Amino acid sequence: MDPTISVSKGCFVYKNGATRANPNKKTPTKRKRSVQAGSEVTSSLLGKELTSQPLYAAYTECWHQMHNHIVELQSESNSRTLEELEEFVTGAGEGSRQEDILPTAALLTGINQPDHLKQFESLTQHLNAKQAARVAVLQSRDCATLKAAVESMVYNLMEAQPSADDANEDEETEDDRDRKRLRRSQCTMKQLHLWYDNNYRGEGVKHQVLLVILPDFECFSASVLQDFILILSAQCDRLPFVLVLGVATAMTAVHSTLPYHVSSKIKLRVFQTQPAPTGLNELLDKVLLSPKYAFHLSGKAFKFLTHIFLYYDFSIQGFIQGFKYCLMEHYFAGNAFALCTSYTKALGRIQQLTHDDVETIRRLPSFRPYVEQINDCKRIIAVLTDDDYLKKKLPQLLRDCLLHFMLFRSSLEFFTELVGDLPRCPLGKLRRELYVNCLNKPIAQQAEYKECWQMLSFMSKDEFIAKVSRAIACTDQFLSEQIVPLELGDACAAEMRAELQTLKKLLNDVELATMETHAVTIESTCSSTDARPLADLTQVASRQQLKEQLLQRSKHDKQQSLSEYSRALHKVLDHIETHLVLAHLRPLQNAPPLHELYVFSDIATVRRNIIGAPRAALHTALNNPHFYMQCKCCELQDQSQLVSTMPDLSVVYKLHLECGRMINLFDWMQAFRSVLRAGDERDEQESNQEQLDPQVQARFTRAVAELQFLGYIKMSKRKTDHATRLTW
Amino acid sequence: MEQICAALEPQFPCREIAITTLGELIGDCEEAYPPVIYVFGHSGTGKTTLINSFLKQCQKQQKVRIAQLNAIECYTTKIMIENVLDSLAVQQSPADNMLEFVEQLRCLHTAETHGFLIAIDNAERLRDMDANVLPVLMRLQQITSLNVCVLLLSQLPFEKYYNKTGLSEIITLHLGQYNKAETLRILSTDFDQVRQQLLQQQSQEQQQQQRLDICEAAMTPDFYNNYLNLFLSVFYKACRDVPELRLTARKCFGIYMEPVLDGSVECTDVSRLWRHIAGPLRAALTQIYMRIEKPLLGETVMEDQSVRKLAQSLELPYYGKYLLIAAFLASHNSAKQDKRLFVKHHGKQRKRMQTVNARAKNAEKMSTTLGPKSFSIDRLLAIFYAILDEKVGLTCNLLSQISTLVHLKLLSFVSGEQNIMDGSAKLQCTVGLEFVLYIGKVVGFNVRQYLCDFM
Repeated sequence: MDPTISVSKGCFVYKNGATRANPNKKTPTKRKRSVQAGSEVTSSLLGKELTSQPLYAAYTECWHQMHNHIVELQSESNSRTLEELEEFVTGAGEGSRQEDILPTAALLTGINQPDHLKQFESLTQHLNAKQAARVAVLQSRDCATLKAAVESMVYNLMEAQPSADDANEDEETEDDRDRKRLRRSQCTMKQLHLWYDNNYRGEGVKHQVLLVILPDFECFSASVLQDFILILSAQCDRLPFVLVLGVATAMTAVHSTLPYHVSSKIKLRVFQTQPAPTGLNELLDKVLLSPKYAFHLSGKAFKFLTHIFLYYDFSIQGFIQGFKYCLMEHYFAGNAFALCTSYTKALGRIQQLTHDDVETIRRLPSFRPYVEQINDCKRIIAVLTDDDYLKKKLPQLLRDCLLHFMLFRSSLEFFTELVGDLPRCPLGKLRRELYVNCLNKPIAQQAEYKECWQMLSFMSKDEFIAKVSRAIACTDQFLSEQIVPLELGDACAAEMRAELQTLKKLLNDVELATMETHAVTIESTCSSTDARPLADLTQVASRQQLKEQLLQRSKHDKQQSLSEYSRALHKVLDHIETHLVLAHLRPLQNAPPLHELYVFSDIATVRRNIIGAPRAALHTALNNPHFYMQCKCCELQDQSQLVSTMPDLSVVYKLHLECGRMINLFDWMQAFRSVLRAGDERDEQESNQEQLDPQVQARFTRAVAELQFLGYIKMSKRKTDHATRLTW
Repeated sequence: MEQICAALEPQFPCREIAITTLGELIGDCEEAYPPVIYVFGHSGTGKTTLINSFLKQCQKQQKVRIAQLNAIECYTTKIMIENVLDSLAVQQSPADNMLEFVEQLRCLHTAETHGFLIAIDNAERLRDMDANVLPVLMRLQQITSLNVCVLLLSQLPFEKYYNKTGLSEIITLHLGQYNKAETLRILSTDFDQVRQQLLQQQSQEQQQQQRLDICEAAMTPDFYNNYLNLFLSVFYKACRDVPELRLTARKCFGIYMEPVLDGSVECTDVSRLWRHIAGPLRAALTQIYMRIEKPLLGETVMEDQSVRKLAQSLELPYYGKYLLIAAFLASHNSAKQDKRLFVKHHGKQRKRMQTVNARAKNAEKMSTTLGPKSFSIDRLLAIFYAILDEKVGLTCNLLSQISTLVHLKLLSFVSGEQNIMDGSAKLQCTVGLEFVLYIGKVVGFNVRQYLCDFM
């Protein structure tokens, strides 16, 4: 008989026999893994027709590079803590143990608990690779009772397989099946003793620590935790337990959860991990703002992602996923976006562009100014119609774009050093803030920028020179370390260095033009202040006029009082402004043509897709079903309009919006009925005015039940035949 | 019996009487044991160690089988039965319930063993186990007709065990707390070990022969007793748990010795030594029981862990901070006042004599000091939106912040955790005023301004 033939309705699970039978064919999960490893470019989720496109190749390449960079960076920044922890764990295993005292490490992780599971996983892998410890990671959801906690701990310790050898996983699974027959109820401390004695007590077998990790300490119930620690510490003289607590808040949480008789059984050492915001800044500076990658986020998108991080959840994983989404969104807009890669690769891809792709390029907003600035009519037509002509032009355009971004980045480096540590940080002190500021608006017009410039001009000579030369040195270093190794890097570096050279010369002038002129400055300012009261301000008509006059006068004074030093200083600042800020730190709308290929700025889509707003979505669905159903019948002119063709639930919902806290069911039903009737013919309704159609009543009852199910209302217990609104 | 007592007495100074009593009760396996002995006393009075060594001695010198278990580990009856059978029986067959357990024990009648001793630590836990466990254990002798004695160890007096069905009479043995002289005597038994350890440590360092010499010369029992006197003068008021005192004494002794080893202070100059050690001892006093493994110097820094510090060390996302403030306000203001506090044009409040009087009467009953009251999620969100200047969408991310705060134990569910959906779940804010004030300062929000108590 067919196994799916059944009396009742049901959902049937089939084991995928085909994949199991053929060991060469990989299971979907494995394939995904290999994609991440970068060896294979097929994906199980996406069809062949998509994965063979150049955009997919460009996307995977870009993502792999960035992902590897991120992983590397994270493991680097976590390595110190992990190393210390490892040392502690292995040290605890070897060192002399005091009786009954459980060595414990408290890892202060920061508030995003899901993120830290990763850290513990990597710790586990490290230890497994070293064969130094057996690890059991116990999550609070597995440990509702003491029994469950002990069982899952024992189970994990005995069953945990070093996951390093994924390669021969397939062969192993059969053996694993047999061995994993260990029943939960058999997992007791006694079993653990036996198992440990069998495996690790013999001669020549390496002594292993039993590491128990509680990644979310705060979520454990206090009584379970206390008993659990008491058990572990009681077993401590026979089994080498080490406990690691992942503490999200602070050490006081540990002290308040564990009473004296428990805390005296553990020996606590505190470890601090890197705080999440620092980790994010590092990630942004080193990966997202790295000139290595052709892909950039626009100021708004960048700000949006960091905003989610800083304002909502402190989750680095979440940030990375959001960024990945932007990356996907960018590349999947069309094959033209496959050009968003390194210069030489892009050159290769230009030839593969089809007519449609070229059209996409022509439709980019920044293409228009480009066309407009061509003053030859024939060339304009050629650019707009002839694909081959445009393809010939493209390399130059792309080169300009790439160069622009590099120059932007180098100037940003200079600029950050220059204004980052000014008092009160008007423009922000971190590179990411400046990046957002520069990309969003023309920075030179902002008030904060002017404030910065003013502060710079008020600086003492030594400070100013030190600051600018520091900025120069910093940029120089950045150029030689990050830019030069890249393609087109030399061109960029050459241009930047020329700027820096002239800047250095100007700075030299500042240095030379000094003390003797300084006195003049003071004198001149003195004289000007003397002169001011003499000038008469009496014949001003209005406040406005007075203001203008004063302004003019002060400008005049300034020009008069300009000493050699301040003139030189202003020269430097002007040079910086014109050659670095105005030339390179241009906002996105002034970026060279085709910058859209490299910059992702479609923030609305991202926002819609990565931030869930369940209540808003429900409201739209119920208030205006047309939005989702796209049916012809219930298009609304006005949001509050009620149409009889709308689903019952929607009608009931809209009616309930008009009510107060308590809703009388009968009135509600009458209103419902009248809405339905408005759609029917007039004469018919008049005939059965008195009687209630049972069908209408049934429909109403069902809709109300559905509304209750959705959590909008609750049947009131106090007042009969009334429902309570639960939303406001 | 004498042998057992003789072996134990040097190990347990000041417990001679208890050892003799125990010896009289269960010292001789040829005689009938009492069915149950209840040993109680505060933590750190040596119950467990004493009984364990006593049983070990019994096993060594007589034909007795013993079982020692900790009731905390026995979270099910089955595990307890298994543990007992494991240690008592030679060959083992599984027993699932009390009946089979008793059956198995009955089969243990053999010529070579004359007695069975079962010691159960943390016996107060037995009360919470299956209802038949404690009664069976107390009548085990009668039921199994073996020469068996159950020793129950606990911190509570036996009166706390009485239940509805009643329990049979029991022999109790109380281990009282040590007085100061006794504590001193017990701690001074450490001397040899400490000396050994110190000498070893010094000889490992090797570079300074001089230090080693001083060390050898200075370490006399008198010197150590002097130290312990000073030590106990600080600690005895706070802690009488001998193991804890012993650990701390050892830890602080290194610091005490340091100036002597340096040669800066003579080992006979007690008052200067005292001046030197008083600070670290006091610092260690605040750390007692916590066992934070850190150099003692760092501890003083750790210890001024004021609320301010805590708030600094806790990094919350921006909206998380606001949610916490909103939760605090919701917890410490009554819902009636909300309109007055958070709505801009709330109208004037009429001052009536009655309210003024009422307020004067509850002047001392400030709601910030009365403790938090519960609030619903709706109210929390409403206050959150009222105190936040910018407009924020009600998104998943924001709602998940609430559950994050609950996970971090900054908020807690008071009731209705199951039905969050229908809005009847009530939350409570668990952090204090000072903490919230600090957080408010970080985000630039004046919390006091929005608290009824300070208006």
